[in-house]
Amino acid sequence: MPRLLAGALRLRRDPRILKLPPYLSLLCIFVGVVWLLLLPLNDYSRRTYISENALLPGQVHTYFGGSDQNVFRAYKHEVNALVGKSNIEINDKLESIVKGLGLKVACQNFTYTSAGRVYSGENVYAILQAPRGDATEAIVLVAAWENVQQEVNRNGVALILTLARYFKRWSLWSKDIVFLVTPDSIAGPQAWVDAYHDAHDSARVDSLPLKSGALQGAIAIDYAQEGRFESVHIVYDGVNGQLPNLDLINSVVSIAGGQMGMGVALQEMWQHNDQYPDRLRTMLRGMLKQGLGLASGPHSSFIPYHVDAVTLQPFGDGWQDEMAMGRVVEGTFRSLNNLLEHLHQSFFFYLLMQRERFVSIGTYLPSAMLVAVNFTIMAIALWVKSGQPESSNNTPTPPASEGETAAPAASNPAVERDIFLPLGVVTLCQSVAVIPLYLFNHASESLLTPFFVIFALLNPLLPLILSNFLTTTYRPTTQQYQLIKSFSLLLLGMFLASLATLNFSLALLVGVLASPLTFMRPWPNSDAMRIACTVLLNTVSPTSVLVASAAYWQLDIGTVLREAAFAWHVCGMYSPVVVWCVWWPAWLAGNVIVLGRPDESKGKEKVL
Amino acid sequence: MVGGKVNSGRMTALLVGAVVLRLAIFYLLPGLSDLLAGRVEISTPVTSFKRLQEGLFLYQHNVSPYDGGVYHQAPLLLPLFSLFPNFKSFPLGTYQLYIVADLLSARALQLIADSGEAGSSALFTSPRREKRWTGLIVAAVFLFNPFTIATCIGRSTSVFTTCAILHAIAKAVSGAPFSAMVALSFAAYLSMYPLLLLPPLLLLCYDRQHPSCAIKSAGKFAITNILVVAGVLAALFQMSYFMTGSWEFLSSTYGIQLTLTDLTPNVGLWWYFFIEMFDSFRSFFLAVFWLHLSCYVGGLSIRIRRQPLAVLTLLLGIFAIFKPYPSISDTSLFLALVPLYRHVFPLMRYTFVEASVILYATFLGPSFYYLWIYAGSGNANFFYAITLVWNLGLSLLVCDLTFAVLRDEWEVERPEMVGKEIRQI
Repeated sequence: MPRLLAGALRLRRDPRILKLPPYLSLLCIFVGVVWLLLLPLNDYSRRTYISENALLPGQVHTYFGGSDQNVFRAYKHEVNALVGKSNIEINDKLESIVKGLGLKVACQNFTYTSAGRVYSGENVYAILQAPRGDATEAIVLVAAWENVQQEVNRNGVALILTLARYFKRWSLWSKDIVFLVTPDSIAGPQAWVDAYHDAHDSARVDSLPLKSGALQGAIAIDYAQEGRFESVHIVYDGVNGQLPNLDLINSVVSIAGGQMGMGVALQEMWQHNDQYPDRLRTMLRGMLKQGLGLASGPHSSFIPYHVDAVTLQPFGDGWQDEMAMGRVVEGTFRSLNNLLEHLHQSFFFYLLMQRERFVSIGTYLPSAMLVAVNFTIMAIALWVKSGQPESSNNTPTPPASEGETAAPAASNPAVERDIFLPLGVVTLCQSVAVIPLYLFNHASESLLTPFFVIFALLNPLLPLILSNFLTTTYRPTTQQYQLIKSFSLLLLGMFLASLATLNFSLALLVGVLASPLTFMRPWPNSDAMRIACTVLLNTVSPTSVLVASAAYWQLDIGTVLREAAFAWHVCGMYSPVVVWCVWWPAWLAGNVIVLGRPDESKGKEKVL
Repeated sequence: MVGGKVNSGRMTALLVGAVVLRLAIFYLLPGLSDLLAGRVEISTPVTSFKRLQEGLFLYQHNVSPYDGGVYHQAPLLLPLFSLFPNFKSFPLGTYQLYIVADLLSARALQLIADSGEAGSSALFTSPRREKRWTGLIVAAVFLFNPFTIATCIGRSTSVFTTCAILHAIAKAVSGAPFSAMVALSFAAYLSMYPLLLLPPLLLLCYDRQHPSCAIKSAGKFAITNILVVAGVLAALFQMSYFMTGSWEFLSSTYGIQLTLTDLTPNVGLWWYFFIEMFDSFRSFFLAVFWLHLSCYVGGLSIRIRRQPLAVLTLLLGIFAIFKPYPSISDTSLFLALVPLYRHVFPLMRYTFVEASVILYATFLGPSFYYLWIYAGSGNANFFYAITLVWNLGLSLLVCDLTFAVLRDEWEVERPEMVGKEIRQI
């Protein structure tokens, strides 16, 4: 044992060990990415299963149909007559219809301002009191008047009215059912859910006059398509990449796919052959949506409050009619009605790659963690390296007394590290990051694009200025550059590791895009390398990635920024914080290091 | 004298900077102060500002503040806070109180650092003492430590305990045992655990007495000062009794700490352990935990007799880990004293690991707490695991500092071993 320890100690001082970390980091990134690509294979993913036995999806006969078809047609007629009218007129009409059914109805106003735009409207909702319940639990059925694409949700609203009338006739409900119609798909549901949990800012959102019990689940119907449909598209991404319990999705899949015989699609994969490429594509689309953290439908706002929710969207050209859609909702509600406690059995962290295949957090998290760990490895290596005397003038014989050379344990004492300048640089980078964060979240809409253009142009110049300032004023040594990099990578690795537990996809995306930073170092003697590295860093800078992705999806950069500001103010999305306060400062510090010119003379003086 | 002027000018600039930063956070980010006031990492049941407000409300309505079972802090804080205007309508008064407490702590810390006690005490002079930070830097490290700022913004009442402890040490260092004992009594009155600092503080006072009015006999010195502490505490208790009208406050403030009846999660190690505990073992393990906490006092005071300030520093680090309701404010107090030992930093072996572990835990803690409490996708084990990591980081730091201090002493005794690596045999 002592010999082993001595061996380990000797290994610790071996100079070769310090050559290792860059390769180790590269390996981590590589394994992390390959790991992700392996997930869709049968050996690494699992078939979904219903974990909560109380759900019993598809075990009940659904009776929605028959004469309800005529009711639906009548309501559809009413809804069609309302198209183009104002929000208040629509709500007045809906209120009178639902009141006629014998339900309690209430309205709620909300006004949000973001990027100089005002988003306001009025939600209308009704509560069906459970014949067998005591108003301690409720499930929600939502239909937004306009869906995310701003199409009028004619069938959805008509269906919700028909279902309200239909559900009222049944005596088997043990949870209250809330029917909610919102003017739009994001702000309305958000205002309603916030107010339901008393977490709203009363200056912007009214309190709810009427409430029921704790929400157990929510289903949103987005049925703007006319005519018959083929399959149901389940939208499940919540704000900030939070997901509903997998059991809810499994129940819908089992009811729609198994009981009703419809197709079920995820992540806009209209065709899915269950082979590797399609699985991978589904998974990557899911990860991208999760990483962006935007609200994807009326259900998104519910998920942060721990209310599991999905949006159902009929699509395709088939033989399923509105009644079939109603039966899917009925079946799901009957399942949710059975719940004895909140959905908690199944997974909250998962990646779906097909409607019946998923990977859970234990399997996929290592890939993001490996990418985050690569930064930490490098940070530790640089810290150790910065503590060693520079090897250029270091002869094997230590400059100690002759008697000491006999003792093999004479250690190479660590060089004092000068940490104040590096700490200052990293702190400066981190604090400057508040500027873009504030700017892009508080500028008015017309100024967003000009601000962004100016910022994108300044962005490559900023490291130049900073680096020039550093070299002329402080003349940092190699050690100080190593420490700047070490601290900046340590922070980046730490932020990403923490983030990976909250939003895996965002952590992985930022980690992969920031991975070149691990390998950046000053190039005092090679202008070509310095320029090459700067160009590389500028192509993966946050601004150029933003521009490139906007161009790829053919979006206007102003729209992207407006949407981000809207999500920030209304839904509390934190992705901008990650981009501007985690990624951007690390990028800035990395670029400063590349442009750095370490002062060799000063460093040598110190060692001697 | 010019140097002194420059220094005092810098100190003023530093204090102004700290005040401006705190006021800016209070006024520019009003949401943040309420958020921090509710964080379990900052506000424990025995230091929470929200609970203080509850107690204050009851007190001002002539109800015993301890009736609701929410307020567990010293009774004399109530008349102090009722002197200030209502927090809801005029928060500046309360902010001022907290900021002033921070500034006084920084001032005391500066005195301690400038006395040079850390490098050369009465019985030991470190060969490395030349390499030290001035009081200005030490005070700056304290004032701009994010943990200190968060505690101040979160308005935890442990700010006052910190202030009292630092004043006790500062007075002891400047040779005023009586004031030191009075300050320590206030600290003990506010949070009880500082009473455990009495033995090393007595040693420190004894070592640093003014030669003019020194008491030579150690026994006599100890008895005199213990009587001072007892007298001041008795007076404070009597005042509390007159104020609340009963002795109920003893069980509601100190009793809570001794019996850990409030199991709100915090960054310490006790809550999870006692949640899991069967009731029949509870009193036994309470005794064991308290015994464990107090057993360091004797051992360290004897082993590092020659450097009482080091004992105080290490004990504060140990308390930040093992006391019943620790928070990051205890950590900030420990981290405030660590820079005094700048001269032994080169002897510490794991500074980077410690710093990284503490940083990681700082960020992972809130995110796991979020997963547990808000997202519902994690559970209590997540948060407890991260508090274990946090305490691991702190205990590494305590051990490493102990090692460095002892090694420094050892190298004086055995000059031939300077620079040699230690090996386990």
